[in-house]
Amino acid sequence: MNKTLKYRWHILGLIFVTLSTVPIWGSDYVLFFCLLFFLYASMAQMWNLLVGYSGLLSLGQQAFVGFGGYTMAVLTNYYGVYVWLSVLIGGLFSVLLALFMSLFIFRMKGIFFGIGTWVFAEILLLWFSNWKYVKYGTGLFVKPATPPSMSTIYYAALIMGVGTLITVFVILRSKIGLGLMAMRDDEEVSEAMGVEIFRSKLFCFLVAALITGTTAGVLYVFQIFIQPYKAFAIDWTIVLVFIVVIGGIGTIEGPIVGAFIYVLLSQWLAEYGHVSLLILGIIAITIMLVAPKGIMGTLQEKTGFTILPSRRT
Amino acid sequence: MEDLLQPMLNGLLLGGLYAVIAIGMTTMFGIVKLVNLAHGDLMILGSYLSLVLVSWLGFNPFWTLLAVVPVMFFVGFFVQGFLLNRVLGKEMEPPLLVAFGLSIILQNLLLLIFTPDARSLMTDLSIKTIPLGGSVNLPVLYFVDFLIGCAVILVLHLFFKNTYIGRAIRAASDDEIGARLMGINTKNIYAYAMGIAMMTAAVAGVLVGMTFTFYPHTGPQYLIIAFGVMIIGGLGSMKGCLVGGIILAEAQLIGAQFAGPGYQLLIGYLVLLIVLGVRPQGIFGKV
Repeated sequence: MNKTLKYRWHILGLIFVTLSTVPIWGSDYVLFFCLLFFLYASMAQMWNLLVGYSGLLSLGQQAFVGFGGYTMAVLTNYYGVYVWLSVLIGGLFSVLLALFMSLFIFRMKGIFFGIGTWVFAEILLLWFSNWKYVKYGTGLFVKPATPPSMSTIYYAALIMGVGTLITVFVILRSKIGLGLMAMRDDEEVSEAMGVEIFRSKLFCFLVAALITGTTAGVLYVFQIFIQPYKAFAIDWTIVLVFIVVIGGIGTIEGPIVGAFIYVLLSQWLAEYGHVSLLILGIIAITIMLVAPKGIMGTLQEKTGFTILPSRRT
Repeated sequence: MEDLLQPMLNGLLLGGLYAVIAIGMTTMFGIVKLVNLAHGDLMILGSYLSLVLVSWLGFNPFWTLLAVVPVMFFVGFFVQGFLLNRVLGKEMEPPLLVAFGLSIILQNLLLLIFTPDARSLMTDLSIKTIPLGGSVNLPVLYFVDFLIGCAVILVLHLFFKNTYIGRAIRAASDDEIGARLMGINTKNIYAYAMGIAMMTAAVAGVLVGMTFTFYPHTGPQYLIIAFGVMIIGGLGSMKGCLVGGIILAEAQLIGAQFAGPGYQLLIGYLVLLIVLGVRPQGIFGKV
């Protein structure tokens, strides 16, 4: 056990060097695979921060995906803003959206919070598909003045993936993270002990909006095309649920493992269309019934194995 | 004012339909304290079951209730007994996620079998209206929806008050441990309750199928409507369910009269958000 901990940073460093040189040695397929893996891992990490650590059951992450993506597309297309700058502004706009949403939904708990976020996303879907400025439901092609190369997009995705991982690790090891975990175990007692529950939850909600919105911007730079029925679809949350549940809710490694499995499965199942979602649903339910803590959660329980421990020892 | 009478009448009648959509979910929330995220999809499953009977055997949609309602009882019984009961516990996320997974499976299964085409259950009632004087007409199908909706709620109320299983369900929801000490198998009782909730969902599914068109993906839309009714009417309250349905439907139809039919859904969502923000326990709910 101590041996794995000792070599932990060596192994992580090796993985990082391998991943950051993919554009040099990898085929197009490997590049494409890793790119999607980083983006999904980043968004799943954020959903896990909300649901697995902060007790905020968000079913409306697609609100930030669509809002971040559309902000990026509108700024790039209509105002000629440099594409990566508009990706960042997309993330900031998502934070503003999250602040506005929090006025309504932070009084709700549990499933009510979930439905509240979902309703917001549905409102955005209806609004954008009825809005002339963004060409209604037909969607927008993202047309930057100088389209970024594949390897540039790859590095942007890598930064999002690794940056999100570091952000979550830092948050969970900080005072806020300690408070969140105390809150997860017993809300009343932790509040009595001085954990600022409301502020910690709001902080996580805003961080999740920022990173989800920015990641979505990178994704839509890659996909070139954004459309309200896809960008604001509940499918995003379905995918994030799948990734986090499979990987292990409430662990840092879980979303990474889950995202890898999801991207792999969705590549394999791509040719079967809707059957793929059906199979993903069946796998998710089976895991919930057999190993409710997911792959990494069960592994940790059985062997105590962690790569990035979120608890201070 | 004259223009508003028709949407107000339609809203009142539609409210009865909304109430029967929501009653199963509200009941289950009252008993297990959990929201069944697959409620809308299970209801649409009822619509498709009825569609199969209508198109194969040429039945009138009303007669299909005789088959669809019992089938949906067993669907509910098994969903609760074999899936949801196994993850019931202290944490609230696992049952929610299982229900969510079930919703994904149902939608894509229906899509696979029935294709994404819009379907509806044809009846000759859908075009009939009764003139009520002035320019106001009573749409017969909406009126039937309203009457059946009220009847379902009344029957459910009497069932919980007067039958052994109904009282056992209420006992299990009031005090689970106490009920167990009195010799009630609470897990079994939850499965019965879900079966009964799905019987109401089957009625709702057939009515929705006759009144509107439906697709494999329309479930979540009705889940949000059911949720709106539950929030506005107060959690787990049966009378509140009817009132909540009427308020939501009135808001949608009167709003659509002013803002245009494209905004009907949007206005419903806005009303729901405002109620959630101002009174999360619902208008008729107790604090």
